[in-house]
Amino acid sequence: MVRSTRYFAMSGALLLLAALGIRNLPGVPGYMVRVLIAIALCLLFAALVKAVRSDACDDATPALRRRYLREFLPPMIGYVVAVFLSVWLLGRVEAPLLRALIALLPVPAIALAMRAIVRRIRDADELQRRIELEAVSVAAGCVSLGYLSAGFLQLAKVIDIAASDAMIWVFPLTCIVFGVAKAALGRRYS
Amino acid sequence: MDSRVRELREAQGWSQGELAERLAVSRQTVNAIETGKYDPSLPLAFRIARLFVQPIEAIFLPTEH
Repeated sequence: MVRSTRYFAMSGALLLLAALGIRNLPGVPGYMVRVLIAIALCLLFAALVKAVRSDACDDATPALRRRYLREFLPPMIGYVVAVFLSVWLLGRVEAPLLRALIALLPVPAIALAMRAIVRRIRDADELQRRIELEAVSVAAGCVSLGYLSAGFLQLAKVIDIAASDAMIWVFPLTCIVFGVAKAALGRRYS
Repeated sequence: MDSRVRELREAQGWSQGELAERLAVSRQTVNAIETGKYDPSLPLAFRIARLFVQPIEAIFLPTEH
């Protein structure tokens, strides 16, 4: 198993254990646990794809892969720390403005992770850029269509999903669909 | 589009990884070009031609339809 696959598998497993561990703690919002589980599943799925497809690790030049891991993993670790810190602080702070700032603590880390993804796509070679952009298009299309459909169902009172749950799942869902689409599209060129 | 990239690479004794490194692309891209699953852009085709010291039309051959 190559090093990056091990990193993804270990991070995913640790995150999953952490999410399950804090699930029943008092004051921990359910949506936070669900987001952590979603990210953990994304990481485990990435590890699985890399392990199953032996050539999946060759989808970028070694220098680009190293830079991506260097830029992507620290923000994701920071994100997990920020989520825990945010949850802990929200149980102790009442002032609305301060609560807003604390609630947004995990956002800069995710913004940095998104920056790493954009830089990877921008600096990938032409075939990889094509695969990544097609996967981004598929993910954007599927998630938009899913949310539009859910919106219509909600308007018709067929389903009833809390707005906070719906909003918090946009990014993890996009990542999951992107990963699946990229694995499927990449097979066309293998 | 057919290409002679594999033949030229093997003549040099390079692996796909070595050629990918020389062209600053991924190994998957080299493999896709060699198997005809991906047609390179003009700038990449020129880089390949320069590397093998051959004209582009001697490396990439249009497929007859």
